[in-house]
Amino acid sequence: MRETIARLMARSKREIPHYYLTTTVDLSAALAWMRERNADLPISARLVPAALLLRATAVATARHPALNGFWVDETFRPGGGVHLGLAISLRRGGLVAPAIHDADRLSVIETLAAMRDLVVRARAGRLRGSEMADPTLTVTNLGEQGVESVYGVIYPPQVALVGFGRVVERPWSVDGLLGVRPVTTLTLAADHRATDGFTGGRYLATIDDLLQHPEEL
Amino acid sequence: MSTQQTRPTAEAARGAVQAAVRHVVPDADFDDVDDDTPSRGEFELDSLDFLGFAETLATLTAVPIAEADYPRLVTMATCVGFLTGAGDGS
Repeated sequence: MRETIARLMARSKREIPHYYLTTTVDLSAALAWMRERNADLPISARLVPAALLLRATAVATARHPALNGFWVDETFRPGGGVHLGLAISLRRGGLVAPAIHDADRLSVIETLAAMRDLVVRARAGRLRGSEMADPTLTVTNLGEQGVESVYGVIYPPQVALVGFGRVVERPWSVDGLLGVRPVTTLTLAADHRATDGFTGGRYLATIDDLLQHPEEL
Repeated sequence: MSTQQTRPTAEAARGAVQAAVRHVVPDADFDDVDDDTPSRGEFELDSLDFLGFAETLATLTAVPIAEADYPRLVTMATCVGFLTGAGDGS
């Protein structure tokens, strides 16, 4: 597995002219909505922040198709659906990023169920070939392990990778008033051959905007 | 406010915590883990793992776990304290 990762990542850094964008997203609306919703539910039906982040990413990716697909033979080929690759660390070392197929068509609940199913099967070594083969954009939630931001290496031939950092409490000003809010650092690593920073910036703004209206996710 | 319920003994609570961790990390080894070591870091539990852990723990002990209780499930010591009702003041 180490060899495969080494080969892919070396190819990525050798061939893909990465550009990186970052923005800080206020999660207070999303987390408040989630807590209220979770309050009356059994644990098995409760949401986690990662499901909201992934859902917002899926919706935004459908709206910005220039970041969803592959760079092949010197040209961009759009993905045939939003198949989000979910970076999953394996307990014995290594990393896989299998796809959640048509993630933009799943509800938040279905997104969480798909994530749980994928993580369990990834760690049990029971992924399907199609899941490994066709992610159209990868998401890494390395923040779960403590880092505040992640500037990823694109998984070739994909053209973008989204990273979420740890949710941290930070001083935050709204309408001139200072408060403490839960925030996450959202990053995009994208292939400059396929898109420009302007597109990437609008994409991150869309994810941010979606997370401010969690009830609509 | 508090409803009457049967709480597990400290020993049973400890066993349930270990079983719940092993439910998500089958080869988890507790031999060298201090009671005050945060489990999420020690066993590399992400939020989905933690959900599975909490779910199993609630099933095994029949102690209801609200989302607001998650911060009390950090170490073996705090888990046992929560499950046995220590510090609830009742």
